[in-house]
Amino acid sequence: MSTPTDRNQRETTRAGAWRTYIGFIVAAAALPVGIALRDMRDVGSANPTKTALADRNLVASMQPVAIPEADYFRDVSALLKHEYVEPVTDDQKLASGAVRGMILSLNDAGSLFYDKNEFRTLLNQREGKFEGIGAQFALVERGEINRSADQSLGGQPPESAEESLMTRIRIPRLAVVALTPDGSAAKAGVKVGDLVYEIDQHWVANTDLLVKFQRAQQDYDKKKITLSQLNTVRKEVREKTERALMPMKASNKLTQGSSGTVRVVWERSGQKRETLLAKSLTNLTANGAVTNGVATLRFSTGADETLKKALAGKVSALDLRQSVDGDYATMRKCLALVTPSGTYGAITSERASKPTPVVVKSSVAKPPKLKLLVDSSTRGASLIFAKILQKSGVAVLVGRPGEDVAVRTTVALPDGTGYTLVTGRYDANPKGKAIALNTENSEGLN
Amino acid sequence: MKIAAYISIALVFGGVGYAWRDIKAGKPVNPSAWQRLAGVTDERKDSPEQVFKNAYRLIRNDYYRSVKPDDLKFAGMQGLLASLGDPHTMFMPPKLASRFSEETVGNFFGVGARLGADPLGAKAVSVFEGAPAYNAGMRPNDVIIAVNGKKVAGQPTDAIVGQVKGPENTYVNLTIMRSGSEKPLQFKIKRGRITTPTVESKVLEGTNVGYLSISNFAEPTTSQFDHELDQLGAKGIKGLVIDVRGNPGGLLETAAEMLSRFVENKTVLTMKKRDDQEVVKTYSGAVRQWPYKIAILMDENSASAAEIFAGVLRDYGLVTLVGTHSYGKASVQNLYPLIDKSSAKITIAKYYLPNGDFIGRKVDDDGVYVSGGLAPDVQVELDLDKDPLPGDPKTDTQLAKAIEVVLKR
Repeated sequence: MSTPTDRNQRETTRAGAWRTYIGFIVAAAALPVGIALRDMRDVGSANPTKTALADRNLVASMQPVAIPEADYFRDVSALLKHEYVEPVTDDQKLASGAVRGMILSLNDAGSLFYDKNEFRTLLNQREGKFEGIGAQFALVERGEINRSADQSLGGQPPESAEESLMTRIRIPRLAVVALTPDGSAAKAGVKVGDLVYEIDQHWVANTDLLVKFQRAQQDYDKKKITLSQLNTVRKEVREKTERALMPMKASNKLTQGSSGTVRVVWERSGQKRETLLAKSLTNLTANGAVTNGVATLRFSTGADETLKKALAGKVSALDLRQSVDGDYATMRKCLALVTPSGTYGAITSERASKPTPVVVKSSVAKPPKLKLLVDSSTRGASLIFAKILQKSGVAVLVGRPGEDVAVRTTVALPDGTGYTLVTGRYDANPKGKAIALNTENSEGLN
Repeated sequence: MKIAAYISIALVFGGVGYAWRDIKAGKPVNPSAWQRLAGVTDERKDSPEQVFKNAYRLIRNDYYRSVKPDDLKFAGMQGLLASLGDPHTMFMPPKLASRFSEETVGNFFGVGARLGADPLGAKAVSVFEGAPAYNAGMRPNDVIIAVNGKKVAGQPTDAIVGQVKGPENTYVNLTIMRSGSEKPLQFKIKRGRITTPTVESKVLEGTNVGYLSISNFAEPTTSQFDHELDQLGAKGIKGLVIDVRGNPGGLLETAAEMLSRFVENKTVLTMKKRDDQEVVKTYSGAVRQWPYKIAILMDENSASAAEIFAGVLRDYGLVTLVGTHSYGKASVQNLYPLIDKSSAKITIAKYYLPNGDFIGRKVDDDGVYVSGGLAPDVQVELDLDKDPLPGDPKTDTQLAKAIEVVLKR
């Protein structure tokens, strides 16, 4: 028979054993926690399938787990370096490639990735150094062609619902947005708004041909056209796509290089026209140079210092023509040199419920009275600068500006590539109150 | 004291858990995984990792439209892999990875119809014989205008496919427009496992020549190939045309299995990897009798496993290649599934055919074909003016030539 003391001892021992057991179970729970932690921290599968060409068991057994982007970059780079058939040594190239992928995915004609040559060309243009045929280009979506081009040139209607259904591929058109004075394009009669159709017998890809082809196929199915007519369209598509240039590459062919010639077919109001143009290097008036009281202004790095020096002299006008899509941050610094403190319009964005006011803080008590020379080449940061000065009453615009008021950030990457990103659009009157255009005829200045 | 012991045990278990992936794979524990646990990252301003992170954050925070974080991340990875300039090394986000899986594994759950775009919804391009949709009465060219009562006009085909597919043994209601039928038809179809037909055959009318087309090299392709060959053999064919035009390839293993029907213990190809090389051979004991001439039809869209299949048979002198040159994909990829169900397809080797040929495609600066691929023994173009229907010798000029080749004495 057991005594109460024995029972107590046994119960104490049993309770101790239970505590140890539970403690061990609790400690062992750290195992799945560790597995989960690894899943959160590490994207790669430790045992990649070795079946050539494709995996036999493609779906991983674990539930999908969200991976932070930095881990993704690190692990996929490591995987590539370890497994790719050739040695992968250039890490910056991988990073630029990833950035390129992200920018391309935005499918936005204003947010672009530039390879080394393209980025060098962009920065040179901001400094007033132009290569190629003496024209500047932008990618425009179909609905924007009318707006970006000179209205009198016509253009193409926005895509119809039927066309949207026919093709989900969007290829913007390459349009002239500015011409260098006395450049070979201007001399050959090329005008702002002209679309590039063909370069050296390479068709510049656009959605129109795909729509035409789809429509011809439907018409053939409905017996509206004959097989021979369908084959004519097929042949056209085949021949054109075989040597097609994508718009960005086409732009490079026209804006890079300072020797040789290029044969370009232009499209204006549906009419095509061929020109043979010589490439050359054009150095426009240097930034900050003052001629007859007119100072040239482009928003490249250091433009604020240039403007400060110019304003110290006798300046009655700023020339914003040929001021290619400058740097927005530099433009803001320049604003503070000529505009009194205040709020001048706002930056709107599709993601923000409220526009962000453009607030200028400056020590300018007595602003200068300026004229701003503008034309269709005054775009982006330059146009926003012009509109703000106009709104603040500091300046009147002389000439007819373009309509591109996108705020673009430009980022240079360590390997010489770079990208632009549209972060918003300037709205001079976000509450919807229209401001009268206060423009003069440019002839008055000469 | 006891608490300290429990904490130690927990740390050991936690550590084992963290390293479990490597332990399970029989690999040494990855040191970078531990660095990551300790929060060690490359924070240098211009380090590639920072360049990527900065761009990612800038786009996420400042781009004027909202962007889904996963879409952006996956686009970044697609760009990263694309930066190598190898069109066959690519990143596949989960949805694409899953579709790729279905194509290569060759089966999934659904109703058994291949859908294409249509302004009213989705058109059944083909309905697989014996599959649930076929048994319920659906036929090619039927247009699905609603799924489970919801109209699908204007939706992308992929989205409609997603609604039609579902777990095994569940039902889907399809509303169909059929030409000649006044009212829309209603079908209630039980979803089942669908094995995509990859091989089709017939005896060409009035010729005694068998025609066998292979659409891709998936898992079930070998057994489908055997089945169709048995049927053709029973009909006493005097020649065979194997059509791999438009065949993008698939599993190397399947191609090797199918080649084992022709030759045993022979080299299929030599894979040259970064550090070593590997020879893939055919198996023994599976050779069939081929008492007739064989021609293989190919074109510029015949790639990868299709080129291996055609190239190996050519090198052993068993077939005549008819058509135009093939694509020229002379590399081998591995698929690396990642734990969020996306995957990376990476080129791990270049391959050489048994006679030592490297058929890698070369293009000029404009991406136009210069060289590569298998050259046909008999070059013949498809005459588009005849509105060719593949498998119809009256309109398919390449097939007509192939028939001539296999019947020639």
